[in-house]
Amino acid sequence: MKITVTRSGGIAGLTREWVVRVEEQGDPDSWFRLVEQLPWNERYRSAPGPDRFVYRIGVSRRHITLPEQQLTGPWRQLVDRVRDAAEQPEKE
Amino acid sequence: MDESIRRHRTVAGEHGAQRGAHRLEPPARSIFDAGRTETLPGALVRSEGDEPSPDIAVNEAFDGFGHTHALFREVYDRASIDDDNLPLLGTVHFGRDYDNAFWDGERMVFGDGDGMVFGRFTASLSVIAHELAHGVTQYTANLVYRGQSGALNESISDVFGALVEQRVLGHTPQDASWIIGAGLFTDQVEGLGLRSMKAPGTAYDDDVLGKDPQPASMEDYIDTVLDNGGVHLNSGIPNRAFYLAATAIGGEAWSSAGQVWYDTISGGTIPASCDFVGFARATASKAADRFGADSIEHRAVAEAWATVGVGM
Repeated sequence: MKITVTRSGGIAGLTREWVVRVEEQGDPDSWFRLVEQLPWNERYRSAPGPDRFVYRIGVSRRHITLPEQQLTGPWRQLVDRVRDAAEQPEKE
Repeated sequence: MDESIRRHRTVAGEHGAQRGAHRLEPPARSIFDAGRTETLPGALVRSEGDEPSPDIAVNEAFDGFGHTHALFREVYDRASIDDDNLPLLGTVHFGRDYDNAFWDGERMVFGDGDGMVFGRFTASLSVIAHELAHGVTQYTANLVYRGQSGALNESISDVFGALVEQRVLGHTPQDASWIIGAGLFTDQVEGLGLRSMKAPGTAYDDDVLGKDPQPASMEDYIDTVLDNGGVHLNSGIPNRAFYLAATAIGGEAWSSAGQVWYDTISGGTIPASCDFVGFARATASKAADRFGADSIEHRAVAEAWATVGVGM
């Protein structure tokens, strides 16, 4: 299972992308448990805020776009974990 | 309610009889420290009349708000963000390694950067002014932050960000760098800043960040779902139009092209969904109103938009 986090926007307008293949991680089961908790029915509620980051998150073939103000709970946990894993693969 | 707002309201109340009269008060600034959390507003650390803080980020935000407030007050006769002497609220040290600054509808918020690509976001006056200008846009044209109207919203923040810096430095359009966010990158990044209004697409070219993706004219307009429809990308097009107009007119950009742009956003004639063509027409119209039809300002504005491929 591939998880992709694409962060765009911010005052710099720089797009960053972090990709993780769950099967290659040290503890795949904990990743699967986290993925099962994701609230996919979340909708982009707030009007886009000036210079706020926008996250596009893909898990296998499902995608969701959320402004950083709504990046809470399991979505926030997932994004932080993907970033950590993608930036420091030796630790997993 | 924090003390600065309370004080402001008391003062406003004492002059209640003048309600409706246009009073241009000095800035009412309050800077808060989020202590590397994402909780706003954080702890109040500096208000009007306080001694400078030992924390450089606090003082940069405080002074930057002062310079920006001064441009709007002294040049455009505008009383703060809302033209009604709104207190200026800022929060520094937001989040951990947070590579960003933003306007949240009520306050300006600044991260410290990750130390690898970015240092602290208060290090650039144009960035501080950019965020305050988002507040001014919210209270004037209120351009929808998506697609072309979003790119205009972004560009307006870059325009006033650059103008605050130019006015403080006493730069003509020829002297000015036209770089937004100079000094934000660490030494490890190959780049001048976040964006170049003079030459969009040339601000940085780095192994890690890649090349500045901004288009400089309509033929390179970027269609994307990212960044609310590329608001920080396509802003390069109206940014360059402003640069071209200001340079063709010469003198102080803030009182020529800057005045035209300010008249455009505050004039009540453009819709929140305004696109590039609508904005271009409105700036030409405001240039004619302010400086005369066929004045050098009017012609420079029209020509600038034609050069970047925005036809009227």
